[in-house]
Amino acid sequence: MLVENTQTQMRKGILEYCILCVIAKGEIYASDIIAELKKAQLLVVEGTLYPLLTRLKNNGLLSYNWVESTSGPPRKYYVLSPEGQEVLKHLDKTWQELYFAVQTSIEGRK
Amino acid sequence: MNKTIIININGTVFHIEEQAYELLKEYMTDVKRHFFNSADSLEITTDIENRIAEMFTEILAREARQAIIDQDVTAVIEQMGSVKDFESAEQETAGGFNEPNFTMGAGATTRRLFRDPEDHLIGGVCAGIANYFDIKAVWVRLFFAVSFLFAGTGAMVYIILWIIVPKALTRADKMAMKGEPLDLQGFKRNFEAEMSTVGGHLNNLRNEARPLAFQTRDFISDFFHHLTTFFGSAGKILIKLLGIAIILACIGGSIAIVVFLFATMVFGGNHFSVPDSFFNYTYINQVRVAFALLAIIPLTMLGIVISSAVFNTTSINRSAGYTLLIIWISSLGVLLYHASRVAAEFRDSAGFTQTINLKPTANQVYYLELNETRYLTHEDSTRLDVKARFNNMVLTDDDDNDDLEPNSMRLNIEKSDVPYPVLIEEFTSRGSDYEEALSNARNTRYIFAQQDSVLKFDYKLRRLDHNMWHGEEVKLTLRIPLKATIMVNDKINRYINNSMNLWDCSPNPENRNNRTYSPFVMTKEGLQCKLDSAVIAAQEQPTQSNNVPDTVIMIQGKRSTQTAPDTIYIDSTEAPAPERKPVVIRKYRKKQ
Repeated sequence: MLVENTQTQMRKGILEYCILCVIAKGEIYASDIIAELKKAQLLVVEGTLYPLLTRLKNNGLLSYNWVESTSGPPRKYYVLSPEGQEVLKHLDKTWQELYFAVQTSIEGRK
Repeated sequence: MNKTIIININGTVFHIEEQAYELLKEYMTDVKRHFFNSADSLEITTDIENRIAEMFTEILAREARQAIIDQDVTAVIEQMGSVKDFESAEQETAGGFNEPNFTMGAGATTRRLFRDPEDHLIGGVCAGIANYFDIKAVWVRLFFAVSFLFAGTGAMVYIILWIIVPKALTRADKMAMKGEPLDLQGFKRNFEAEMSTVGGHLNNLRNEARPLAFQTRDFISDFFHHLTTFFGSAGKILIKLLGIAIILACIGGSIAIVVFLFATMVFGGNHFSVPDSFFNYTYINQVRVAFALLAIIPLTMLGIVISSAVFNTTSINRSAGYTLLIIWISSLGVLLYHASRVAAEFRDSAGFTQTINLKPTANQVYYLELNETRYLTHEDSTRLDVKARFNNMVLTDDDDNDDLEPNSMRLNIEKSDVPYPVLIEEFTSRGSDYEEALSNARNTRYIFAQQDSVLKFDYKLRRLDHNMWHGEEVKLTLRIPLKATIMVNDKINRYINNSMNLWDCSPNPENRNNRTYSPFVMTKEGLQCKLDSAVIAAQEQPTQSNNVPDTVIMIQGKRSTQTAPDTIYIDSTEAPAPERKPVVIRKYRKKQ
């Protein structure tokens, strides 16, 4: 229980940070985000991504453009808003700090 | 060949097989229900639908098919993830940037019905309702208090709400409970969500494993919890003690039932004022076991539920619970079956009467005496080794309890219209039909003996075989001539229906015991105390013995009142009979 709780806490922030990182590479479609996250072994199913994207969008970090698609309905292509880029910069810095903290902490451990 | 349906997902048209359609519809319903409470449910579900449409298009293009089949739907669902996946993912992301479900979104916020654990008098139901409608809890409490006056309706509703409405445990729950002020747009959605929540709880009640035991346990646990806070820490100990007391009572009750049943097996039913012949019922052991299970299972369940509430131990598992329930119902069935069988044996009644003319004594004084002698069957007397161990002794029944058994004899004393005493024995019994009832009545024996002036009445009717008792009864009517005197003591008086006050009629009131005789005389008005002066005066007139025949015994049927087949009986001769004999054992030979 304790382990699960800690894992949950750890993944919580990282998932959103990673999504922002993926989107920061350029305009991207949801299923491509999924593909990236699957590669990183952070997400398994697509369905869980949509609520996250909607929330990030509602918080003003993302925006999207409708793009016509050859296979099916028009697609939402997500892009970082200026605010999102600002947040991402902060997060980058935080991550560097965290990374340093973790590395320092586990240093010398077998 | 399969039937296909044409569906339209956000503007794209698909041909889909019926089975696949059902699968997809079920999935989308689940998804919509899952995101119902979210402010962005429409946007999220539209995104998901669009993605599904896209995946379908890809599949159809890749496999060059025209219709969606159920494998396609399964594959899509797998990729998209089930509602369970969403739930576990949301646990991880909840509380990320904000509380996702409740503080987000401009207008519509959801307010849900919870029991308020922070502001409660009993279960927090009233406070929860007050939060839900955004009014002061005191009004809701007042409403419930008033409605309680109407035949306790309020209490019933309160208890039901207590069981159904969940307690606000998490911060999210409490936020949802208090919510923001409702706006018109959000109201409808809130209401629908609420209905589905309550519906969900009702569904849980029905579908959850061992639903009733579970809810009951939670409820009792809750109840104890609130009582505990109510009375403080001293109350906590008291409550636990009470719980332990109930558990001990359950255990004690179960043990008592088992002991009782063993006792009836070992000693017969005599000590429990049940007709002992009932225990000769062929299937009595089945009845015993069924009865024991019927009583012990609920006690056990009660004990388990209370102990799980008091000590927070786990309840018994579902299959064990169902097994117990099935055993309990079967026991009930067995008992009902045997009860109906027994009842069927009591359907009809029959009886017959026989008259014995008694030998008159010269002074017309008769001692009525209760024969307390224990009559033993031949087997019993062999088993107890009566001859060697109890020679010259009297075996009596311990007959001190005041309760008359159903098979006790009853004696009426009336005036005789012939100059000698007459004893009328009326035997009745019940049976499945008239013939059976009559045969049951014949199958009994009442032992009556006259030894000169002493009339010895056996205290109960006896059966000749070990068959079940069918309400066999004997009613005796002793008719004594005018001016004849009967001597009655306490022992026999218990069995006499005429009301006679022996105390007031005692010749020696200071020194009397239950064997002291009180004289009564038969007058034209019925029995009267012989010590009353008027009665004495009447008695002083010389009486004269009439010429009556010697003992006339009229026997109807095959009965005999004089001998007992195959019994040893040890005769008590304590009565102040004219000739006092030493104690003897007489053996009556079997006479067929």
